Amino acid sequence: MSAAATTYWRIAGLTYLQYTSKAAGVLRAALKEPLRTKTMAKEKIFFKRLEWSSKMIGQPVGPLKVEVTSLK
Amino acid sequence: MLVARGIFQLAARRGVHTTRILASTAPAAADASSGDNLILNFSLPAASIYRNKPVASVVIPGLAGEYGVTKNHSPVIAELKAGVVQIVHETGQAPEKFFVSGGFALTHANSVTDIAVVEAAKLEDIDAEEVPKIYAEAMKDYNAAAEGSKEKVEAQIEVEVAKSLAGALGVALT
Repeated sequence: MSAAATTYWRIAGLTYLQYTSKAAGVLRAALKEPLRTKTMAKEKIFFKRLEWSSKMIGQPVGPLKVEVTSLK
Repeated sequence: MLVARGIFQLAARRGVHTTRILASTAPAAADASSGDNLILNFSLPAASIYRNKPVASVVIPGLAGEYGVTKNHSPVIAELKAGVVQIVHETGQAPEKFFVSGGFALTHANSVTDIAVVEAAKLEDIDAEEVPKIYAEAMKDYNAAAEGSKEKVEAQIEVEVAKSLAGALGVALT
């Protein structure tokens, strides 16, 4: 069997960010209790989207806090 | 042959240019040229574990294997695997160990080493009893998943990190 041209996770369609976030998640799951709940909170990523115009300060578009799930 | 040498020199020149910028941002107080220390920047996405810290040496878990960095090490850019970063603050001391899940480590020509990881934990903060359970669960998912599927790859990542955790903690896996 010849060596793959790239990593096993890329072949399956994962990006580097998804791969490294998953690995970080495994480490977090193995932590001892007080530190574990603190760092599990880090897994949540949110973004806020504002639309700007020449007259107005940015107005929010859609829900104010959108959770990013693409790295899960 | 000459063309290859020219390209190499161009790349080396670009590398030197980058490290010159970095050298100007290093504070005067932590001067790598005095003593035999390298300067360590060990950071997580939202926080810094060590910033401009003079240390004697670091052992870094690169993808191709663990390697040690001391002052005047040649420049290296390495992707990291899940493993242990060992920092020796002063020669002769026992290393301070952090388990890291993955990231990158850059060593520059001016003896500054940057380690950027997504998650890091001291070995004593990791639950040694949890690790075999994570491994067993992940192996089950791995064997049950279809070949080439996303589930199989995600299980494979879990298996690899769990194995690495077990190795770092000295825990036996069934």
